[in-house]
Amino acid sequence: MQKLVIVALNSLLAAGLYATMSYGLAVIYGVMRIINLAHAGLMMLAAYATWALNDRFSLDPFLSIVIVAPAFFLIGMALYATLIRWLPRSSTGPSMQSLLLLFGVWLVLQNLAYAIWGGDTQSILTPYTMESVSFLGGRFGVPQIGVFVVGIVSLVGLNLVLRRTFLGKAIRAVTQNRDAAMLSGVNAGRIAAVAFGIGTAFAAMAGSMLSTLYAFTPDFGRSFLLKAFCIIVLGGMESFTGVAVGALVLAFIENFASAYTSIPVSFQDAISFTLLVVVLVAAPGGLPGLWRLLDRRVVAR
Amino acid sequence: MPAESAPILAVTAVCKRFGGLLALDCVSFEVQPGEIFSVIGPNGAGKTTLFSCLVGAVHPTSGNVRFRNEDLAGLRNDQIVTRGLVRTHQIVKPFRDMTVADNVRVGVLYGKLRLRGAKARERVDEVLGRTQLAHRASVKAGVLSIGELKRLEIARALATGPEVLCLDEVMGGLNPAEIQQAMALVRALRDSGLTILMIEHHVHAVAGLSDRLVVLNFGKKIAEGRPGEVLRDPAVVAAYLGDETKEEARA
Amino acid sequence: MTALLRRHPALLPGLVFAALLLLAPVLADRGTQNDLWNMAFFVVLAAAWNLLGGFAGQVSLGYSAFVGIGAYTTVLLAQAGWSPWLTLPVGAALAAAFSVVVGLPTFRLRGPYFTIATIGVGEAVRVIASGLEFTGGSSGLRMPPGTFDFTANYYAMVGLALATLALVAWLQQHAFGLALEAIRQDIDGAEALGVNSTRAKLQAHAISSALVAVAGGLFATNFQYISPGSVFDFRLSLTIVLMPIVGGMGTLTGPVLGAMLFSYLQIKLLASPALRDSYLFIYGGLLIVVMLFEPRGIMGLWERLWSKLPRRRTSAIAEAHGAG
Repeated sequence: MQKLVIVALNSLLAAGLYATMSYGLAVIYGVMRIINLAHAGLMMLAAYATWALNDRFSLDPFLSIVIVAPAFFLIGMALYATLIRWLPRSSTGPSMQSLLLLFGVWLVLQNLAYAIWGGDTQSILTPYTMESVSFLGGRFGVPQIGVFVVGIVSLVGLNLVLRRTFLGKAIRAVTQNRDAAMLSGVNAGRIAAVAFGIGTAFAAMAGSMLSTLYAFTPDFGRSFLLKAFCIIVLGGMESFTGVAVGALVLAFIENFASAYTSIPVSFQDAISFTLLVVVLVAAPGGLPGLWRLLDRRVVAR
Repeated sequence: MPAESAPILAVTAVCKRFGGLLALDCVSFEVQPGEIFSVIGPNGAGKTTLFSCLVGAVHPTSGNVRFRNEDLAGLRNDQIVTRGLVRTHQIVKPFRDMTVADNVRVGVLYGKLRLRGAKARERVDEVLGRTQLAHRASVKAGVLSIGELKRLEIARALATGPEVLCLDEVMGGLNPAEIQQAMALVRALRDSGLTILMIEHHVHAVAGLSDRLVVLNFGKKIAEGRPGEVLRDPAVVAAYLGDETKEEARA
Repeated sequence: MTALLRRHPALLPGLVFAALLLLAPVLADRGTQNDLWNMAFFVVLAAAWNLLGGFAGQVSLGYSAFVGIGAYTTVLLAQAGWSPWLTLPVGAALAAAFSVVVGLPTFRLRGPYFTIATIGVGEAVRVIASGLEFTGGSSGLRMPPGTFDFTANYYAMVGLALATLALVAWLQQHAFGLALEAIRQDIDGAEALGVNSTRAKLQAHAISSALVAVAGGLFATNFQYISPGSVFDFRLSLTIVLMPIVGGMGTLTGPVLGAMLFSYLQIKLLASPALRDSYLFIYGGLLIVVMLFEPRGIMGLWERLWSKLPRRRTSAIAEAHGAG
């Protein structure tokens, strides 16, 4: 039982990171119906930026988020203005054109990293990297806890923006019904730019957080991207609460698998990829879809 | 007593729910072979949803559809088409980058007839001839006029060699001359042995063509019978006028 | 004869191209033959992928899995004593079977979702292949000695490329090609006319994966050494996809143009260390440029320019006047 509690707590910590990572994708998808494959590259680039700040100025990675996130917000808006804006809007959902375009951007970002920092594995070492805290019989790493705290703060912040500010409401309006939002006076183009900026900023935050936990190379990001897809599909592409739930579910499955089964860690990525495929196929509406299905079964006359 | 011929299409208590919306509420009717059978009703009554359920584009939440006494439950759209039941779409969507002839060819190759080679080519020409599209055969479908697109939609469905053809608002957006042409085509199709189901808003066309019809309102069947009786039924009139009365009240 | 040529304008240059390739061992030196072998390899991959990706519109980013299946089947069976040529059909069959296993669940997904699922599948395959014992793990496997014969390899790969093009051309002209085209343009519309879209997609996937696997087997025979990094690589999946996209998806000549471009690029990249490190810039940049300006690739650009010529415009006017 105690082991279960520890697994649950570890999952909670991991879920914070996963949710942050996934929100970036979810915001962009919600507003523009675009699947941002460059998300992986942006996370990776932010990890490198954090490392560079730490290496050059001895800046603590968590503190550097204050610099990195806004910088990447601007980068995101610039990306939108130069590239994304020109894509034709597809009414039937995300287009292959946008998918492949952003894929190209990802490749370019990878090369950028290779060019600037080389292909060697990098990692960040801080005084607290190896520290851990004892709680209920388990040991939890300080970086993990820090990541979780940052994750929660940023998600609460995002939620507040979405619910309380005009900008947030405009974003939610465009997500639900673009045409109606435009008729109500919302400048959809500007909202799209801001949404892309927010999505990129969240990718950057996730990247900074990841840099404290893992070693990374320019190729880094692909498995996290796939996890993020898994989460937003699980969570039902358009529901923000759903993403949080999806993050928890994936984190729990992974931690559960590593704690109770003998599947080697390297195969765990295969688990999340398979889960992605399974969820996409069996439950395209994600958990909310499953819930609706259940609800109808229970309530049907 | 002479035995009644078995219905070619039997719809029994079909309901369709989309989330919280009940689009079809326990609709039942039968269609006899060789009939022209119309489905009418105000906008949003569920008529197109009904057609979707018939051809398997959408699965009914409950109830069933029998075609030539075979239960169609669980069958896919393409499986039902190869059995001889096909429909046109209200919003026409041709294969834009293909020629008119190729658009028709898809139905000839993969519909009920599954023709190949010379026989397929003959059938394409035949269908194009019947729908007056022969002179546009090698044109890309994307450049056709709306009237031609509607005829192409019929041609594609016809190409599959169906026994029952469901036409969804084929007269929408046509001028009076085109409507006359369309009516003549529908009669010609029935005379060549098809059974026709039609969704139509043009009351005169419906009255002139149909043997029998059914009226839907908010997903429910509210009347069924010959045009003369049904179109005089006060409930039917109220259903159609109901929209207008509300609009007048709001004005 | 002229009627045949008019219906298939690519036939004449195609025959010339084929003749040149087949005569190369006589006319050209070993280095050129090597380059041509590489190009033929790419032609097979690009043209085969195009069957599912270009004609049917289902973009899969996991095709290196099939190259790997073909390569590993050939090496493992050759190590067990089989003649390398006999291993090819086995690799093809295995790849086709695997394509069905992957296709059955994933073909229920539309467009971009299918593509993402294929990334996942490709990665899973690579991870598993690197982890398994009998595939030699990440250090790879070697062909048994005495299995190398360059001239035979050359004719085999060129023959495969020509056969692939011929097969794809034939399919395109016949019913199957029309079904795939219909699926690409409007999958619901195709099903509404009786096309069993899932079966057509599975068939296209199986045929193309089998061809790719044979190419993989020939790759193993020619290079005599394979590893997960060389055949299950994501970079390879990427190249396979970029060739038809840049050249022009859904056309017959597009993949060939793309293959020629990329095999040329590869030669240049391998020759210059500076460029080698920039291959992602180039690939990514190409993808961005193509998607922004001409998603239909070189062939699309060609068609756009061609339709602007006066001759074409008059016949378009004539067509418009023909409206009833």
